[in-house]
Amino acid sequence: MELPLDSDAIDAPLSNFRPRTGSMEAWNAAYVRVEDYLRAHRIHNRLHQSRLIQKILERAARRHEQHPALDPTTLAAEEAEAVMDQWFSDVLGRTDETKDRLAIEGRVALLISDGARKWPYAFLATDNAPEDFKRAMRASSMEAGPDMAVSSMVPRPIDLGAISEAAGETLERFEKWPILRTLLLWIFFMSALALVFYATR
Amino acid sequence: MRIVSNEFIEPRRLARRRRTFFTGVFVLTSLATWFMADLLWINGMTGVEWALLILFVVLYSQIAIGFVTALLGFYVINRGGDSRQISSSIAPGEDVPLASTAIIMPVYNEDVSRVFEGLRVIFRSVQETKKLEHFDFFILSDSNQPNQWIQEEVAWVELCKQVGGFGKIFYRKRRQQINKKAGNVADFLRRWGKNYRYMVVLDADSIMSGAALVQLVQLMEKNTNVGIIQTAPRLVNADSLYGRLQQFANRLYSPLFLAGLNYWQQYDSNYWGHNAIIRIQPFIEHCALPDLPGTEPFGGRILSHDFVEAALMRKAGWAVWLAGDIEGSYEEGPPTLIDSAKRDRRWCQGNMQHSWLVFAKGFRPVNRFHLLMGIMAYCSSPIWLLFLIISTIHVFDLELKPAAAYRPEAFTQLFNYKIEIPEAFTLFIFTMLVLFLPKFISLFLAMRRKEEARRFGGRWPLFTSVILECVISALLAPINMLFHAKFVVFTVLGQGVSWVTQRRGAEGDDWREAILTHGGQTLFGMVWGVSSYIISPIFFWWLSPVLLGLVISIPLSIALSKVRFGQSAKTLMLFLVPEETQPPYELRRLRQNLAECYKHMRPIEALRADYGLLQAVLDPYINAVHVSMLRQRKPSEESRDYFMQLRTRLLREGPSGFTTKEKMALLLDAESMIWLHRELWCLPSHALAEWWRLAVRQYNVLTAAPITALYR
Repeated sequence: MELPLDSDAIDAPLSNFRPRTGSMEAWNAAYVRVEDYLRAHRIHNRLHQSRLIQKILERAARRHEQHPALDPTTLAAEEAEAVMDQWFSDVLGRTDETKDRLAIEGRVALLISDGARKWPYAFLATDNAPEDFKRAMRASSMEAGPDMAVSSMVPRPIDLGAISEAAGETLERFEKWPILRTLLLWIFFMSALALVFYATR
Repeated sequence: MRIVSNEFIEPRRLARRRRTFFTGVFVLTSLATWFMADLLWINGMTGVEWALLILFVVLYSQIAIGFVTALLGFYVINRGGDSRQISSSIAPGEDVPLASTAIIMPVYNEDVSRVFEGLRVIFRSVQETKKLEHFDFFILSDSNQPNQWIQEEVAWVELCKQVGGFGKIFYRKRRQQINKKAGNVADFLRRWGKNYRYMVVLDADSIMSGAALVQLVQLMEKNTNVGIIQTAPRLVNADSLYGRLQQFANRLYSPLFLAGLNYWQQYDSNYWGHNAIIRIQPFIEHCALPDLPGTEPFGGRILSHDFVEAALMRKAGWAVWLAGDIEGSYEEGPPTLIDSAKRDRRWCQGNMQHSWLVFAKGFRPVNRFHLLMGIMAYCSSPIWLLFLIISTIHVFDLELKPAAAYRPEAFTQLFNYKIEIPEAFTLFIFTMLVLFLPKFISLFLAMRRKEEARRFGGRWPLFTSVILECVISALLAPINMLFHAKFVVFTVLGQGVSWVTQRRGAEGDDWREAILTHGGQTLFGMVWGVSSYIISPIFFWWLSPVLLGLVISIPLSIALSKVRFGQSAKTLMLFLVPEETQPPYELRRLRQNLAECYKHMRPIEALRADYGLLQAVLDPYINAVHVSMLRQRKPSEESRDYFMQLRTRLLREGPSGFTTKEKMALLLDAESMIWLHRELWCLPSHALAEWWRLAVRQYNVLTAAPITALYR
C-alpha cells in the first residue's frame, strides 16, 4: 500500500525519502523512534542526526517492502542497530565478537572516549572515521577491578573461655526450648514485681 | 607470638602510666562512693540502699574513667605532647618510602553524589602529594536498591572519566550481601588483598587528605610491628543544629581525651572501623571473624567487628595505635537526634554481642577493657534509669517513715571533719565537676591562645558555645538514657525497634516522626515528675534536670533538627569549629562539588521511583556499562523462562508491579538487560506500557544539553 507522505513532516535531508509501503503515521513514529535513539546516544547535531535517520529509514523502508506486516518502528530500530554493529566492528577492528558483545563494547568505548561530543560528525558516518577518533575508541577500556590475587581468609574459632562457653550452651538450649525461655522471662518479671513490692513496704 | 617490641615504650613505664590511670579511676570512684554511702547510712543500710550504692559505684566508675582520661590528656598537652606517640616515630623531613595501599570504601545505599564526590576529593588530594602510584581506590558496594546501584555505576564511570581514574579507581558490587560490612571487606581481601600491603578503610562519609594517607603509610612502613593505626576523624559538614553541636563538642573536647587515651593505651589501642590503616597480611590471617554461639541478637555473626578485630590483632602480637594527632581525617555525624538514636540502636546490639568475648582466651586485658566499655556505653543507661527509679522508691519509702528518721544530712562529714554544706549538695557538686570539668579544661586550652580561640570564632562566642553545649547535652542525656535503655531491653528480648517513616521538610524537621518517637518519653517524664512532686517536692527539684529533658523532648528534638537554627547559630558565631572558620582544601572542594551535583535536574515524579532501572534499560551507554560489569552466566531452562516472563511483563506493564527483588534479579542478569534494551527500542509504542512511553519521551527532554555524558 502506497500512501502519500507529507514532506513538511520531515527535515530537508529526508525530502527524497518516499517509502512505498506503510502508513504515514507509522513512518513518522519510526522517525521519532530513531531520532530518540540517536539522541539517547547524545547525537545532538541536527544535521548529522537527519542524515543518519534518512539512511536508517531508507534501509527500513526497503525491508518493509518485503515484509509489509512488520511495524516500521521495529524495522527502523533493527536497522539502526545493524548500522551501529557494522560501524562498531569497523571502528574497533573486531570481527570475532558476537553482535551483542560488540554493541556493548562499542557503546562503552564511545562513552569513555567521549566520542559523541569530541567528534560530533564521526558517529555512524560512512566515510572513514578520523584516525584519532578510532585510536581513542580502541584505547578506551573499562576495568571494574584489577586482576584477582586470591587469598584464603577463613574464620578461626575464638576460644570464648569457660564462662562464655557455658553461657553459650545455656543460650542455645534456651533457643531450642522456647517454653523455657518464656518461663524464665516470667520468673524475671515476677521477681521484679516482688522486689518493688518488698521495697515499698 | 609477640611482635611488639619494647623500643617504643619500656614496659615499666607503660605499667606506671596504666597504674596512674586505674588508680585515678579507683580513687575518684571511692571518694564519691564514700559520700554516697555516708548519705544513705542514716539508720543503717536497707536492701534498697545497698542496691542504690552498688548501682552508684557502677555508674560513677564510668564517668570517672572519662574524667581521668581527660585529666591525663590535660597533663600530656600541658607539657607539650607525648613523646610516645606513633606519629613521632618519623622525624620531621624524614622521607619514608611508601608501599602499595588500597583505599577501600564500603557503601550501602548511601547518597551516591556524596560518596563519589568524597572519593574525588580524596583522589585529587592524593594526586597532589605526587604519590598516587602507590594507591588504588575501591568502592565496595553492597547497595541493594536498583536506583542506588545504577547511580553508583554511572557515577563511577563519570568520576573515572573526569579524573583519569580508570585502572586506579575500581568498583565492585557484591551479588549477595553476606556478613554486611565485615563480609564486604573480607570479600575484597580474598580477591585482591594479596596485591597490597596496606588498606585504608573509609566510611561512605569519610574524607581523608592525601597528606594524612601518605603519613599513615609511612608510619606503617617505619613501624613494621604495627598492625593498625587508627586516626581520630573529626565531625564535619553538619548543617542542622544537632549536627553542629556534636561537631563542636567533638572538635573542642576530643583532643583532651585522645591525648589521655594514647597516654595509657599506647600500642594496645582500639580500631573504630574506619579512617584507619591496616596491615593486610596479618589481618587476613587473624581477623576472619567466626560466628558467636546462638542466634541474633546476642549470637550469630559479629556485628561490631572493629573492636574484635583490634583484639585479634593484639592477640596475634601486632600493635594497634591511636594517632589522634594526624590532621586531615574527617567524617560526618547524624543530622538529628533521632538519626543518632537509630545509629545507636545498631551499635547497641553489636556492642552487647561483645559480652561473649570479654572472657575470650588470649585477649589482652586492655582489649577486654575496650569490649567492656563498649557494652557499658549502652548498659549504663538502663542502670542509670534503674538507679533513678529505685531512688524514687527509696524517697517514697522514707516519706512513709516517721519524720524523725528521715533527715537529709545537713553537713558533709569526712574523717570526723564536719563541713557546713549538705552532703547531697557536696556529692552533686563533685559529680558535676567530674562531668563538666573536662569540657572547661578544653575551653581553657582553646582560650589561652587568642589565635586558637579565633579558630572557634573568638573567645566570647567560644565561651558561650560551651555553656550552651553543656545545657543542651544535659537536656539530651535523659532522652538518650531512655533510648539506650529501650535498646538494651529490646536487644536482650530479641526484639527489633521499629522507627517511624521519615517525611522530613526542607528544614530537616518532621513533627510527626518526633511526636511518635519521643511521645512515650514525654509521657514518662510527666508521670514521673508529677509522682515525684507528690512524694516529695524537694526530690522533684533534685530530679528536675532529668525530667525537663524528657518533658521537652519533642520540641527539643525538632529544634535541634532544624537546618535554619544551625545556620543561625553559625551566623551568631556559635558552635564554630576550625573546619568552618578555616576550611581545609578537601572540605571546601567537597562542598563546592556537592553544590554543583545537587543543581542537576531531578527526574519527573512519575519516573523517579524506578529511574535506575529506567536508565539501565533505556540509556544505550548506561545499559552497556551495566552489562559489561555483570558476570556472564549460562542460565538454566527454568531461569530462562522465569526471566522471559519478567522481561515481557516489565515492558508491557511497567515496573510499578515489580518487587525490589524482581527488579534486582533482572538487573543482575546480563542477557535480560541486553534483551530489554533492544526490545524497548524495537517495539512499537502501542506495545509498551505507558510508563515506558513517558520514559522515552522524557529521557530525551532531560538530555537536551548533556554536557556531562552521564551525570543527570
